[in-house]
Amino acid sequence: MISDKNANTMKWLLRREFWEHKGSMFWAPLIVGTLLVALLGSLVTYGLMSRGIPAWVTINGQPQPHANLDTVLPENTKNMIARMATTIYMGASAPLLLVLAVVVFYYCLGALHDERRDRSILFWKSLPVSDRMTVLSKAIMATVVAPAITIVIAVAASLLLLFIASITLGVLGLNLFTMLLASPDLYLSPLRLAALLPVYVVWALPSVGWLLLVSSWAKSKPILWAVGVPVGALVAIKWVNASLESFYGQTLLLEHYASDIVARILGGIMPGIWFTFQGGLSAAIHPTRNGMDLSGLVPQSYMTLAGPDAWIGVAMGVAMLYGAVRMRRWRDEG
Amino acid sequence: MSAVIEARGLSKRYGKRTAVDGIDFTIPAGRIVGLIGPNGSGKTTTLKAALGLIPFEGQLTVLGHDPRTERDALMQDVCFIADVAILPRWLRVGDAIDFVAGVHPRFNRDKAERYIANTKLTPSMKVKEMSKGMIVQLHLALVMAIDAKLLVLDEPTLGLDIIYRKQFYQNLLEDYFDEHKTIVITTHQVEEVEHILTDLMFIRDGRIVLAASMEEIGERYVEVMVPQEKLSAANALQPIDRRTVFGKAVMLFDAGPGGASRQQLAALGETRNPSVADLFVATMKGTYA
Repeated sequence: MISDKNANTMKWLLRREFWEHKGSMFWAPLIVGTLLVALLGSLVTYGLMSRGIPAWVTINGQPQPHANLDTVLPENTKNMIARMATTIYMGASAPLLLVLAVVVFYYCLGALHDERRDRSILFWKSLPVSDRMTVLSKAIMATVVAPAITIVIAVAASLLLLFIASITLGVLGLNLFTMLLASPDLYLSPLRLAALLPVYVVWALPSVGWLLLVSSWAKSKPILWAVGVPVGALVAIKWVNASLESFYGQTLLLEHYASDIVARILGGIMPGIWFTFQGGLSAAIHPTRNGMDLSGLVPQSYMTLAGPDAWIGVAMGVAMLYGAVRMRRWRDEG
Repeated sequence: MSAVIEARGLSKRYGKRTAVDGIDFTIPAGRIVGLIGPNGSGKTTTLKAALGLIPFEGQLTVLGHDPRTERDALMQDVCFIADVAILPRWLRVGDAIDFVAGVHPRFNRDKAERYIANTKLTPSMKVKEMSKGMIVQLHLALVMAIDAKLLVLDEPTLGLDIIYRKQFYQNLLEDYFDEHKTIVITTHQVEEVEHILTDLMFIRDGRIVLAASMEEIGERYVEVMVPQEKLSAANALQPIDRRTVFGKAVMLFDAGPGGASRQQLAALGETRNPSVADLFVATMKGTYA
């Protein structure tokens, strides 16, 4: 009963966030995705159409007319092209992941600050919605909803690009459709991207917690506090260490931890950031003769959750979210 | 549990400044209370404490809850409007109704839509496209459709024109209020609310200087038109305020215990009940000096 009510309230809180941030959460990735499809699509089409299919059209010293490509190309070559296409096509949507990081960064900074600035917090607080639910809805929005929207758009954009490329090749006489549809990577790539969402949530939590905490606390310019405090602290530690080193020949050994913390509370919202802390990127994705081997991507990403690092970050993130709840509860808006 | 709000030694300090200075009051259920005081007198601070928006010292119970520790439970039965138009700019009328209907178990959607239908608001309109008066209209429509046990209105009609203000108080009395509800209103426009209030609280410099029901006030305070020849006799009875209207002295007397009796006052000249505004001005004398 209680949890039903909470689930219902959460549903409305998430809708509310979506209404407010439709522009950055939905339209921005959609526009970038559309631009990507238009730009890369026309580039591929134009390239293939104007140049034709390149030199390897000459097979065994015999120049082949394009229309015959389908029949003369050896089956395993066509397979290879299809595999290449299906493994790398998701890469076309990489810029969307950058957009996601920027959107989540600004979203979190404004989430608990803007409502205080325009005093609309007094309206939200006049309704039977607890501060805990409100802050939680904003954290869910940043760690789950925004990435999920990006994933859907990224998959759609990538499939569309692949479709455009194969149509173009088809017009030039190389029919890859059956091969593409038979390639398991075509279906696995979107699933892999979706499977990374829980890993993203774990690694994004310290950043989202920090940014929401600053957002709930800063009187103005939350971005300066959010970036200035950790970077300033890091510079201070480096400076102390440098002086200690020149006078005593030893340092506090804090520097490594400090840079790690700063990188995690500011960089955690960047998809794939987990590889920079735990390594394993080369094991996760590596080029092969047939395009990219992506089979390690999901297992390697989940491997980063095995160590304590990820969970220390989660604990920090949850603690900072709790801090943000307390701030929202007691902050007096004049 | 008949008291809706009960305060004992309620204090709030902002740094060195004392905004509310150890006040006691009780607001029973089924009343419409006007909390009236000049700017900075502590009325908004008192309401914020009752709504669990700020920490405070002393004892305060609202509908049986401590607003500091049980705010979430309290908000199931309380609604409020803070003093200015504060709806977020991106909010659409239709979305606002959907949201409040979604999260508030006591929201009556039909009622809200009925209020909206009486205005120029349309469901697709965003707050940023509205005039200040329209924002207040939307906010009031949302809040009036919530069946709360306690409604707190802090300057609810600021920015509204006179026709809509009258309409609002009319609706509040006829459509919203019943014996199970309690309304606390602060306003500068005392004249507008005095006919709907059942109780009056004057607050000055963080202290309550007058708290009484309208009947008590009617019995206790008397305004007398004093003719020239009885001026000295009238002054001897220590009026709390005097002014001159068309050359005639109008004096305000406290006919409560220890003050002049009604018979004494009737002998001075024509008597009548003072308006709340006149009483307010008399009580607050020197505040602005």
